[in-house]
Amino acid sequence: MPEVLIADDSEFMRNLLREILEEDHQIVGEVENGVEAVEVYKEESPDLVMMDIVMPIRDGIEATDEIKSGDPDATVIMCTSVGQEEKMKEAVKAGADGYITKPFQKPSVIEAIEDAVGA
Amino acid sequence: MKVYDGSSGTSTESQQERLKVGIAEYEVTTSGANLTTSGLGSCLGIAMYDEAAGVAGLVHVMLPSADEVDDTNEAKFADTGIELLVSEMERAGASTRHIEAKVAGGSDMLDFSQNGSGIGVRNVEQVEETLDSLNIPIVSQDVGGDHGRSLKLDGNSGDLTVKSANKGSQII
Amino acid sequence: MQVDIQSLETFNQLAYEGAEQATAMMAQMTGIDAAVDVTKITLMDRADVGEELAGQPFVGIQFGMEGVLNGDTTLVFEERCRDPIVEALPGGSSDGDMAESSVKEIGNIMMSGFIDGWADYLETTIEHSPPEYIEATGADVLPSADGVGSEQVFVFKSHIDWPGEDLNFYIYMLPEYTEMAEVMAANADTQSDAIPVDKLSVFNQMTREGTQKAAENVTAMTGIETDAEVTQISFAPIEDVPKQVDSKSYVGTVVEFDGTPSGYLSILFDETSAMNVAEALMPMEPDGEGFTSMHESAIEEMGNIMTSGFVDGWANVLQTSVEHTPPEVVHDMGQAIMDPLAAQVGQHQTHAFIIESRMQTDDLDFSCEIHALPDDAELKQALDDLEIERKDETEADVEKIF
Repeated sequence: MPEVLIADDSEFMRNLLREILEEDHQIVGEVENGVEAVEVYKEESPDLVMMDIVMPIRDGIEATDEIKSGDPDATVIMCTSVGQEEKMKEAVKAGADGYITKPFQKPSVIEAIEDAVGA
Repeated sequence: MKVYDGSSGTSTESQQERLKVGIAEYEVTTSGANLTTSGLGSCLGIAMYDEAAGVAGLVHVMLPSADEVDDTNEAKFADTGIELLVSEMERAGASTRHIEAKVAGGSDMLDFSQNGSGIGVRNVEQVEETLDSLNIPIVSQDVGGDHGRSLKLDGNSGDLTVKSANKGSQII
Repeated sequence: MQVDIQSLETFNQLAYEGAEQATAMMAQMTGIDAAVDVTKITLMDRADVGEELAGQPFVGIQFGMEGVLNGDTTLVFEERCRDPIVEALPGGSSDGDMAESSVKEIGNIMMSGFIDGWADYLETTIEHSPPEYIEATGADVLPSADGVGSEQVFVFKSHIDWPGEDLNFYIYMLPEYTEMAEVMAANADTQSDAIPVDKLSVFNQMTREGTQKAAENVTAMTGIETDAEVTQISFAPIEDVPKQVDSKSYVGTVVEFDGTPSGYLSILFDETSAMNVAEALMPMEPDGEGFTSMHESAIEEMGNIMTSGFVDGWANVLQTSVEHTPPEVVHDMGQAIMDPLAAQVGQHQTHAFIIESRMQTDDLDFSCEIHALPDDAELKQALDDLEIERKDETEADVEKIF
């Protein structure tokens, strides 16, 4: 099973993502901010990161930038409530492979993962 | 049959006049009215009482100092609000030598990082400084924390009842 | 057409003094010592005016104004006030026609008090028609909005409180939009802090889209379909900002947002609604009684998603980004939640724009209020930057970018 890291400051959202993903993925970590996301990524090198944007200490776009500059092959999908075009462009610049806006349904998450991994 | 007459125990309570003090407002009573104010977050209520003269006053301030913003409403600021309340109480017969103060409010339930100390903390500091400069002692206080408060000052006794949304009420 | 902040302050002050004068007239006639609680100027959809009156019986008097202030003014009493007020009037009586006539008389004198100050300030006379007595439930006590549904208007609203009796009355002045905007523009002293009025109503429409987006997010997450959404932008003294929210307990989230514009935003649910929303969100039964940490986490995420729904439209139309801090969950008296936000903004300005939205279901299992307090200077910047032809571009297209 592909390995996935979930980064979201909301316990509620981590639970929701875990429920959607655990059937087909092995969850290697659940973290609450961008700093932890980078640390756990370096330790675990998961196949996929589901990354929130608005998080304390360090936001998801900065964390994505760092993960991608260390490992250009990393697959990072932004999973956020932010639906602003400028933010999406920032996410692309940081190297994000996909973008899901909350609230989401399971099929759109699965689809976004297939698109990102396929690309 | 129940007989209703003037001697029932609750009637004096219900007859005590109640004056509401809004944000950036004050009231003074010489007739023992209850002065109330509600929903203090980082705002501060300063209750003052001169037992000898029978004068009580309450002001609900929002910001520390009038020096910061160009505004003519003195009761909005801790420094000018206290000075205003003291002078109004003096006009009603109180004397600064006898006035005692009780302070409640000034919580910092929200952490807005870039501005240094929260407004609640700065409000409390300003109140202490201004009262100190007027030689008015703070005899009790319930300040800070992360919850809102509502106040009732009993103009007869100087008792200040502090009620919070989820921590019950106490008299200070 | 430009309106400067100074003239908004002046007009707000005129409305406040008018309401004070009306209240003083009533005190003179009846001995009832009521107090003006809040006076604000609101720009909103004509059809939404008076939504806060919903479901309650009112009596009032209404008249049309002619001259620089063309439009209608209504004095609205809670029906429960009528008898005590007319009985306090020497010679007044609460019997039938006499009661109606007494209300008319008090109303007429109060409203003259309200209007005189405007006439003096504007150095003109304001003619008004004879007062008409009205009894109705909810917003029907105000002049009918038929045929002018989505038109935006300025409303001058004062809330007057009769302490000790827990009774309320209101003054609504509804001038014609165009004339009002012209009067305000003509009274602008400087151009330095001028706000383009037309863009303010476009901004209002953008915010309405944002409110709808936030309501859709609620539905997508919880299955709760909201029936009514109202969006308005008001202008009031900073010390009146916390009074926009009831003093009862609320649960919700607060964020600071940063960009064009910057400011603070709260999303507040009454306690029952918070419980309902949190449980509709939770995939399983909560552990423990009452409002658990799982409820809190659900509300936090709800606040996060609703906040984004609300501000993203601004950012997309303005082609900029508006960042916000992670939401802080609050559970406290409504006013105590709002006063730190007002105080923050109040460090730089004496008055504030308040962007307010409400959504609810008919059966009131769910109601939610959103209040945003933007920094004046940055709101002005946002309005200056606003290209009206982009006003419908509130939604970003993910597909186009990824």
